[in-house]
Amino acid sequence: MSGDHSRDPCPMVIVNDFGGAFAMGAIGGTIWHSVKGFRNSPVGERWQGVKSAVRLRAPTLGGNFGAWGGMFSFFDCTVKAVRKTEDPWNSIISGFLVGGALAVRGGWKHMRNSAIICGFILAGMEGAGIAMSRMMAENPVAPALPEAPLAAA
Amino acid sequence: MWFSSSPKEETAPAPVAETNRSHQVAAPSVLPAGFDASKLHPMAGLGSGGLEYLDLESNSQRADGLIASRGWTEDLSYGTGAVYLVGLSVGGLYGLAEGMRKSADMGSAKLRLNTVLNSVTRRGPYLGNTSGVLAILYNVINSSIDYARGGTHEDANSLAAGAITGALFRLSKGVRPMLISSALLTGVAGGWCVLKRMVAPGEEKR
Repeated sequence: MSGDHSRDPCPMVIVNDFGGAFAMGAIGGTIWHSVKGFRNSPVGERWQGVKSAVRLRAPTLGGNFGAWGGMFSFFDCTVKAVRKTEDPWNSIISGFLVGGALAVRGGWKHMRNSAIICGFILAGMEGAGIAMSRMMAENPVAPALPEAPLAAA
Repeated sequence: MWFSSSPKEETAPAPVAETNRSHQVAAPSVLPAGFDASKLHPMAGLGSGGLEYLDLESNSQRADGLIASRGWTEDLSYGTGAVYLVGLSVGGLYGLAEGMRKSADMGSAKLRLNTVLNSVTRRGPYLGNTSGVLAILYNVINSSIDYARGGTHEDANSLAAGAITGALFRLSKGVRPMLISSALLTGVAGGWCVLKRMVAPGEEKR
């Protein structure tokens, strides 16, 4: 009974991540586009602008988030299964693969650039996570040493 | 309670399968017959609620859905993810068929591939996004109803959540479309309840 029990094991967690990312995108998109629709509509049609902006764009944003998060989880599981290790490189590799996979219709050059950018973003996120956990961890305190050995008799 | 009341009950299997109290599993099956937990330590109150040998509360999973769940956020994630993926696949397949049909008389393979991909990526995400948003609404409403009723879940909750979701979905279209979509989604929720019974009889949740 060890390991991370706050998340499910691999094949199932992909569905979870798809849904979580979709929900995050859709709910965040509702907030984002309601503000945007409100500000971009003329006075008197603001409520109408909010409604149409949210209904048009929030599901799409959710879909984009969901596609990204779900594919990331899918590649993360694949990379874990292939490498049989869990370290920051898994995320970086799967970020690289997601970037490539999402740009697959843009041609080789676009795929390469987007994959590299996504890999770098994920590397930055992993680095930030490691730095955060270092900062949050308790600083080791050196044991108090006696100043000088007592002189003999 | 399990140990002192009646010796006959102790031969029955441990109530692990009784899912609604899975956080409090007593272990009479592994203990000797004359065991009385309340005599272990008079101050500990061990005899009051049965002897727990695992503290499942700290990492509690409700095992009473089709998949074990840790709470409403996980219900939301799994429900939305599953429905979204199904919608994406169905829409994608529809788009595939449509693209194949439309491009049947195109000579160039590259052009044909592009046509098919275009219609797949138009139909798939549209259906996926729509059904995903419906799933979010349904799960949030369903969990809220469960919460408002003090954590009890019944099929009626699911049906009500489906009805409210359907009405909200067509809110801007007028009363008649609202009623139609409400009825449709109530039917889907009912179908889900029936399916759940068939796959995992005697268990309920989601």
